[in-house]
Amino acid sequence: MKLDSLPVLSSVFEAGADDRIFDSLLLLGPLIIGLIIVLNRSLVTETLAIAYLGVFVVYILYRGVQ
Amino acid sequence: MNGAIATVGRDIGRILEALGGLMLVSLAVPLLWGEYYALPALLVSAIIPLGIGWLLYRRFKDAEAPSRFHGMIVAALGWFSVGLFGSLPFLLIAWSVQLGVSGFTTPAQTATLAAFTEPLNAVFESMSGFTGTGLTMTDNEEVLPRTLQWWRTFTEWVGGVGVIVLTTAILSRPGSGSLTLYESEARSEKIHPSIVSTVRTIWWIFILFTFVSILALWLAGMPIWGAINHGMTGLATGGFSITDNSIATYDSALIDFVLIPVMLLGSIAFPVHYLILRGDLRNFYSDLQTRWVFGYMSIGSALLWGFLYYAGPYGTPFAALRYGLFQFVSAATCTGFQTAVDSTNVALGRWPSYAQLTVTFGMFVGGAAGSTAGGIKLIRGLTLAKGIRYQIADVFYPETAVRRLQINGRRLNEDEASREFMEAAIIVVLWITFLVVGTFILLLTLPSGEYSLANVVFEVASAQGNVGLSSGITGPESLPTIGKIVFLFHMWIGRLEIIPVLVMLRTIFKRGGLYQ
Repeated sequence: MKLDSLPVLSSVFEAGADDRIFDSLLLLGPLIIGLIIVLNRSLVTETLAIAYLGVFVVYILYRGVQ
Repeated sequence: MNGAIATVGRDIGRILEALGGLMLVSLAVPLLWGEYYALPALLVSAIIPLGIGWLLYRRFKDAEAPSRFHGMIVAALGWFSVGLFGSLPFLLIAWSVQLGVSGFTTPAQTATLAAFTEPLNAVFESMSGFTGTGLTMTDNEEVLPRTLQWWRTFTEWVGGVGVIVLTTAILSRPGSGSLTLYESEARSEKIHPSIVSTVRTIWWIFILFTFVSILALWLAGMPIWGAINHGMTGLATGGFSITDNSIATYDSALIDFVLIPVMLLGSIAFPVHYLILRGDLRNFYSDLQTRWVFGYMSIGSALLWGFLYYAGPYGTPFAALRYGLFQFVSAATCTGFQTAVDSTNVALGRWPSYAQLTVTFGMFVGGAAGSTAGGIKLIRGLTLAKGIRYQIADVFYPETAVRRLQINGRRLNEDEASREFMEAAIIVVLWITFLVVGTFILLLTLPSGEYSLANVVFEVASAQGNVGLSSGITGPESLPTIGKIVFLFHMWIGRLEIIPVLVMLRTIFKRGGLYQ
């Protein structure tokens, strides 16, 4: 079975900016927020949140200068 | 006319089904927070619109596709119905706590929650939420059950994009009918040729930005429940808060400054976001509206900073910048978050009149068309300004001269320019007319001498621009019943850009024999 034929994933992949990085960020968002709810504020959750925002901003700039 | 009833009934049915679905999704919140007493109320709240929607849809499912006229009626009636039925969770949960629910432990009733036992207060809160206004009938949001905190946030988040956009995305019906409905909800921009693909991409962008906003606020120091709620309402430019003093509760300059880009994101049109995510960063300055989002926010904030520092209540340049910048962006993006309150600095209602009027101007203009923001929209303001200059300059050209009006990269001939100028002028004139009428009614109904004219104009502009900043007039006790009804109307017409509501009212009056 292909990844993009799964119900939720196919909707995410079909819509949006046709970019797997942004699709991945969209899918990872609720998982990271869920982890923050469970683990509260810690080095792990803060690192994950910084990494998420970092990838989002840097990737937009990267696509812009490409 | 029966054909019209069938078409409208079918589409209202779909909207009510979607609303019921939102309430069913929200059942997760009382389960997670252990507020089990709210479950029966929320379930009943969901079943009512679901049942009515299902009946309407089944009865009229073979109706014709909507015309422009039907689209406007569906938009006006749909938003009214959503405001009405969306009040059920407020009303039923408040009464559940008031009367108790057998088999469940209920918390003690609070004055804040008790306000929702009044149906008008519950409808006001719901309409304020769905229209993204943010004026509230609560006096302390912190003591509300988490379920209602969530429902307020969720209404603004969904309402920011639009209930018809939601309905089209999840209950898609390809074809021209969807486009007509989409356009009647104060939207015209398309990202893809298919309207269903367009609304799904709008939701894709909105959900991604929501996660980004939540994580940014959490990193800035907001607790996660606050970050979830304020991230959602900030991006939707709604402005509901879960704290008593809005964002001022956190009294954190970092949180203030993180919220500014979140609100700005909400006031930029979705097609521009799409192009930027596709790597076309030029749209930050090549798109007229986006350029002006930054331009006029900068000019307005600088002006307000000057008023607040040199002639106003703040003693340091940084304090004037912090509160002036935040409040102007909050107003002009039509969000309505408040950091200027008496408990930490100086309340908006006690700012000098000229500072309040500067903020009012921001609320009047609003953000970009095609975004979640309210107001008359930047493109109309710019069309009007350019159109006036074009008309005046016409005197200086020979009669045979062929002239073009350039707006956002489009070169319009004389007919096109006149049409666009007239459309913008009609909305602006209607907007100002209703602002004046609302101000007049409020001045008549409020206790005399308690509020200044600047306070009243500010509050009405806030309701009509779907902003939610308050000079202190709105509240369950302070706003008289007539004022609440008038504000319900202002929020409703403001969200739909007036015309669809007038079309619906004309149709009702005409059928009822009141309008000939």
